[in-house]
Amino acid sequence: MKKSIQFLIILLFFALNSYSQSVDEIIENYYENTGGIDKWKELKGVKMLAKLNQQGMEIPIELIQMKGGKSMQIINFQGQSIKAQVFDGEVSWGINMMSQQPEKSDQETTDNLKLENNDFPDSFMDYKSKGYSAELIGKETFDGTETFKIKLTKEPKTIDGKKEDDITFYFFDTENYVPIAIQTMITQGPSKGMTMEITMSDYQEVEGLYFPFSQTQGIKDQPSLPLIIDSIELNPIIDENEFKFPEN
Amino acid sequence: MNKYFILILLIIFSQFSFTQEKTKIDLKYFFGDMRARHIGPALMSGRINDLENHPSNPRIIYAGTAGGGVWKSNDAGTTFNPIFDEYCQSIGAVSLDPNNPDKIIYVGTGETWTRNSVSIGDGLYKSTDGGNNWEKIGFEKSERISNIIINPSNSNEIYVGVLGALWSDSKERGVYKSIDGGVSWKKILYVNESTGCADLAIDPENPLVLYASMWEHRRTAWSFESGGKNSALYKSNDGGQSWKKIHKGFPKGNLGRLAISVAPSKTNILYTVIEAEKDSEKGLYRSEDHGESWNQLNNDFEITVRPFYFSKIVVDPKDHDVVVKAGLYGSISRDGGKTFKNLGNMHADIHDILFDIFDSDRMYFGTDGGVYRSWNGGVTCEITENLPLSQFYHISVDDEEPYNVYGGLQDNGSWYGPSSAIGGVRARHWKSIGPGDGFRVLKHPKKNIIYSEMQGAENVWRFDVDKSLIKTIEPLPEIGYPKLRFNWNTPMEISSFYPDRFYIGSQFLHKSEDMGDTWEIISPDLTTNDPRKQMQEDSGGLSADNSGAENHTTIFTIDESPLDPKIIWIGTDDGNIQLSRDGGKKWRDVTPKNKNLPKNTWVYHIEASYHNPGVAYAVFDGHTSGDMTPYAYKTDDYGKTWKNIIDKNEVTGFVRNIQEDYVNPNLLFLGTEFGLYITVDGGNKWTRFTNNMPPVAVHFIDLQKKTNDLVMGTHGRGVIIIDDISPLREIELTTLNKKLHFFQGKKTVMADKSDFVGSFGGETRFVGESSSSSAKIKYFLPKRHTFGKMTLEIQDSQGKIITSLNPGKSKGINIVDWGFTIRQPKVAKGKTLSRGGFTSPRVKEGTYNVIIKKGRDIFENKIELVYDSITGLSKIEREKKHAITMKLYDMTQELAYLVYELDLIISKLPPKSKVLKSLQELKETLVITKGDNYVGSVESQLREKMADLYSKVAESWDVPSNSELNNYEVIKKRFKQAKKTFEKLKSKVSIKDFSIDSYEKFLSK
Repeated sequence: MKKSIQFLIILLFFALNSYSQSVDEIIENYYENTGGIDKWKELKGVKMLAKLNQQGMEIPIELIQMKGGKSMQIINFQGQSIKAQVFDGEVSWGINMMSQQPEKSDQETTDNLKLENNDFPDSFMDYKSKGYSAELIGKETFDGTETFKIKLTKEPKTIDGKKEDDITFYFFDTENYVPIAIQTMITQGPSKGMTMEITMSDYQEVEGLYFPFSQTQGIKDQPSLPLIIDSIELNPIIDENEFKFPEN
Repeated sequence: MNKYFILILLIIFSQFSFTQEKTKIDLKYFFGDMRARHIGPALMSGRINDLENHPSNPRIIYAGTAGGGVWKSNDAGTTFNPIFDEYCQSIGAVSLDPNNPDKIIYVGTGETWTRNSVSIGDGLYKSTDGGNNWEKIGFEKSERISNIIINPSNSNEIYVGVLGALWSDSKERGVYKSIDGGVSWKKILYVNESTGCADLAIDPENPLVLYASMWEHRRTAWSFESGGKNSALYKSNDGGQSWKKIHKGFPKGNLGRLAISVAPSKTNILYTVIEAEKDSEKGLYRSEDHGESWNQLNNDFEITVRPFYFSKIVVDPKDHDVVVKAGLYGSISRDGGKTFKNLGNMHADIHDILFDIFDSDRMYFGTDGGVYRSWNGGVTCEITENLPLSQFYHISVDDEEPYNVYGGLQDNGSWYGPSSAIGGVRARHWKSIGPGDGFRVLKHPKKNIIYSEMQGAENVWRFDVDKSLIKTIEPLPEIGYPKLRFNWNTPMEISSFYPDRFYIGSQFLHKSEDMGDTWEIISPDLTTNDPRKQMQEDSGGLSADNSGAENHTTIFTIDESPLDPKIIWIGTDDGNIQLSRDGGKKWRDVTPKNKNLPKNTWVYHIEASYHNPGVAYAVFDGHTSGDMTPYAYKTDDYGKTWKNIIDKNEVTGFVRNIQEDYVNPNLLFLGTEFGLYITVDGGNKWTRFTNNMPPVAVHFIDLQKKTNDLVMGTHGRGVIIIDDISPLREIELTTLNKKLHFFQGKKTVMADKSDFVGSFGGETRFVGESSSSSAKIKYFLPKRHTFGKMTLEIQDSQGKIITSLNPGKSKGINIVDWGFTIRQPKVAKGKTLSRGGFTSPRVKEGTYNVIIKKGRDIFENKIELVYDSITGLSKIEREKKHAITMKLYDMTQELAYLVYELDLIISKLPPKSKVLKSLQELKETLVITKGDNYVGSVESQLREKMADLYSKVAESWDVPSNSELNNYEVIKKRFKQAKKTFEKLKSKVSIKDFSIDSYEKFLSK
């Protein structure tokens, strides 16, 4: 559970990317249709209050993502706010549910997270200058809807000591240029080789920017977990210390 | 007058066809949440055609399978994932670019072990991103690709061996070369229209040197011919520009299928296996001079057995004297091929062998029953347990809940297992119901009896499940009748009117009224009885091969009308449809005479309609004569006339099965060589179903009556189910134009069944996906919902919102699951988490409102839930259970609010306040304030006790026990006391500007 939430949240924020002229047009249109590139560039952070809903179990969560890489995922169980996954840009950590004490993530996970420090508000922002590449694979029907399938390649991650390509596929609705799904090949753990899929809908405006307020996440072609966002706060003020690993 | 009449007719006709054109419903965009689920089984897996490894990472293994696609393992075969699910599932060869093995993969489709039941391919595919995306790069009509070799020193230079068509002549065979990475191709070795490339090898030290085995062969539905004067082994020294035969030392006369292998560690040494005219000259030959001359070493059984199935040799990459031969059991030589011993025990019929790149003791074997792995040079072998490649010939279902699926498999016997199981359908759920090749397996409708069979009805078994008694019951030859001819896949049918009535087809129709104890022949020979198609003893070519697989001029399908037991339809493998309308007294040949249907085309399935006794559907399969056209016909006049219901441009692949819906006669399902097709307008428009449904060969389809589940027996991916197809019944033009259309639903039983899962082994064993027992809210959206808010709420009959769900947003059919629960109770905040607090209580049975809000539109529907009768609880008992559950639920939330208030007060009090200590003492009796969530836990307090009892009562199917009721009183009393103490302490506190959320607000947070 913890793992899947982490993954969800990581993907949630590091969404978009591409090359070739037509790819750039799609991305430009996406930014244009969701508030304008300048406004996205001004954005310094987001805080989302959301609910995970799993078979009658409703779990409130709080997701914070700041420009520069700081991030936090808080799960709310029985009145307790549990920092499931926190990253201060250097150190990644989270609360162990058994001992209720903070523990650091393994160094590889941390190093891979660091690679994404420049991916706010999403991976497509200035992707070329970040050394990423984007390619239009073609048109594909997703959820009965015609989409542009775009492949984004970022810098390779290190998985179990080996460099692995970091590739994500985005499905942009051809009608309005917003992504309605993201697929990533899972590169680690027992699910390695399977495809993770996120779908997005209910795009709504928050102070001039559009965000998908409803998402589902799961393994492609298997039942998925829904996430409903109740509210989004732009440029939240968060105490720096909240991101720091609590020593002792 | 006549003129006018014709004119009017023409006008009507043109209008009619115009409207017909317009009413076509393309389902492609509408399947939405309808999704196939795969239940395996994987325990016997299925046939593997080709194994391939990565040149530098020994953990990466690819399996190209006979009918189940391409699977990749990242962990040396411990687990596999499919990487080719959107394309043809019959695989001939998989190859990686040795210079870019993580990115560039080639897949040649079409299995090359050419048994009777083999599937077909549709070309060569390339991926440049490690298997994420694929592009077809040619060889559309090749049918079977045997080898793909990439020049190790030039990735743009690719050689492809095309075995080609099995059932007909074809020019698209031989050896091809590309010098531009697969963009263009040149045929560099071609013999004739019946001779294809069976094996191709390259000298890894000198890539200009190629060896090609060319094989003359042909299958028909009734014979197989391996070998001829055109079979030969060729060599090229110039990258395929010129070729010469290298037969010095070869047997005289015609040759058959030859395998060729170059020893990677010493490339002057080559091995070939030769199928020749004389048995004494067949066998393994070795060359030590780059193929210029050959010596025979061995003609053991394992070396010469069934060349069309086992002609494969693999040489240890590190030791030129270690040679492994595919075969019935497979065999290995460690003395350069002079002597062999059998490989260790594993599934019979070994087709490919792979050595680990670093350690030759680690080996992999592709068999008729999956991938095996050995750690000790093939002495002991273990099956890899998560390749669900089972190859069904036929399936059927029963009426149990959950229903069972019965079926028989290529070389893997007959089985039955549950369509769904708590925790997933696992290997241990499947039960064997017969050995050999399995085909039709049928459950007696009333008794716990199962019929199964093996190839050619050599045995038909009647198994008494309760008593474990097996009886063989197949009809045997009788005085006055000729030899019985049974198909390899012999048809059996149970009457839907008389449960003990049982039919079997040879060339005659056999009927039994006593479950197979006595038989009566109720028809003349219904086939063409063509003697030219009955010479199976002569089948095989250079190697006799009379397994029964080519038995022909037999009955292949029997269907007793579900509306009238006197109406019996018969279809034969040589193209006849015969009908009796008087229970078998008289028979009429009603074979369609339509000009587009070639004579004698195999009648694969007849489906008598559920709606009209004169209506039937027949599908024909011509692939065994090289005709890949899809054929499906309908009659509505007892076979007098037949109408084609397929536009062959809409359906790819020949057809094996058709299923009519029980409710909507226009809803039909078609099983083809390339997947499942569906029509909602009687065949006007067919659409391939793709949601988690690979284009695998669908051999048989059944529709379960209670659940409306579509159950498919596939030949390569096991049993695949689409749960509840009932929404398709309502897809018509008017549906498509609505803003939102709710589909009808049945009452949902709130199932009380549970089980212990025992999930051991699930890490590496395939676990089939189960169906969900939740209530389903099903609706149609004409367009995907992407912008704006969309919500789904459930209200009780008074209109009170009790829960909200995440609505589906897909264009087309959306299915939202509701597990009949409201959200879990709000639990008091403590130091640790209370386990009992994670239970969501079920609602009462009754009718609930479904409210979907989408933009400004509101859509309403009702959903009905009923209790599960299995528990035997009365309505009063149900009420009692629900009342106590909800009392505990409320009490848990009240306690949560009390602790919230108490915490708030504590936070406001000065540290030395007298009341503070008393309040803290009170809190320590209410919630745990120390310890952790594991073994550092401390004594439970009121919250834990209350929540534990709540979850026990809520999760039980039964009314609360006396013990639970007594415990309830204890907790109630203790809570009452706590509230009293809190009120008392509260009265002693006065805090200025004390603000607190109301109970309602607290709960809503």
